[in-house]
Amino acid sequence: MLRFAAVVVAGLVFAGQAAACAHPRTSLNYLQGQVMCPTCHTTLDMSDSQAAQQIKGFIAKRIAACWTAKQIESALVANYGQGILAAPSHKGFDLLAWWLPIVGVLAGALVLAFGVWRWSGRKGPGGPDDPAESGLDEETERRLDDLLARFD
Amino acid sequence: MTRRLKTTAQLLAMACVAGLLALLVWSVVHQQHAPGVGSTAPPFTLPRLEGPGTVSLASYRGKPVVLNFWASWCEPCKSEAAVLERDWTSYKNRGVVFLGVDYHDLNSEARRFVSAHALTFPMLADGSGSVTGRYGISQVPETYVLNRQGQVVAHLRGPITDPGFAGEFQSAIAKAVA
Repeated sequence: MLRFAAVVVAGLVFAGQAAACAHPRTSLNYLQGQVMCPTCHTTLDMSDSQAAQQIKGFIAKRIAACWTAKQIESALVANYGQGILAAPSHKGFDLLAWWLPIVGVLAGALVLAFGVWRWSGRKGPGGPDDPAESGLDEETERRLDDLLARFD
Repeated sequence: MTRRLKTTAQLLAMACVAGLLALLVWSVVHQQHAPGVGSTAPPFTLPRLEGPGTVSLASYRGKPVVLNFWASWCEPCKSEAAVLERDWTSYKNRGVVFLGVDYHDLNSEARRFVSAHALTFPMLADGSGSVTGRYGISQVPETYVLNRQGQVVAHLRGPITDPGFAGEFQSAIAKAVA
């Protein structure tokens, strides 16, 4: 609780300075969703651990000092490694994490589309009334029609 | 054609399941456990917390090593720090090496901690937790005592000042020195 109060006070103290930033300021709320708590493996906004409180304090101070979100994230990566960020980077092996779900969804859609196409194709354009689909030869079909006509 | 397609789809599905199973087995086999007493401590090289350069555990082979894992945000680490420094001062002349490994911590805060507690033994930074993971560290502080061969003599989970460890830390060092 005391630590949280310290973070808030630090934010307020530097608020005046922050107003003079040359670029739009990032927010603690935004970054808390982008940065992981290293000890609890959740994002900062989900954690109240001591390690998370320390990082929140670090972020609040840097925001007050007009650092951009990118600069803050870079500083945290330099200290904790890439794992401190909630989202994987957009280069190298990490790209797989971005592309695999898309490839998976596309593959699923293709399989689904193929299945629907097969299912509708098997049913045929004429449906069960189509002679070719009834499994009877033409002669039997004709005799059956004659027989049914007697009941009309 | 349809039959071949069906067989291919079945084979693909089986390959997917086999792949997932292989991943599961791999992760179970590679789970990180704390090295037990008598086993060799995992080797590592870490950057110094203060100043440039790296330190390798292997460079201390032949000397007893006290490996203390800590963090500046850890409350029990504060009470333990003074005792560690006192023990380091009394044991260093007998060839015992003390190494501090700062875990999941901001380097600036860690340096402040070292300065505030006037710690003089070498401090290493493990911000990503890659080394601490190999030592199965689940909380800080934790301390390993290694003998001259790099084998674990004792693993104390918690501050060495804990009454539960009364005498255990000292006797582990005595065993490591022998």
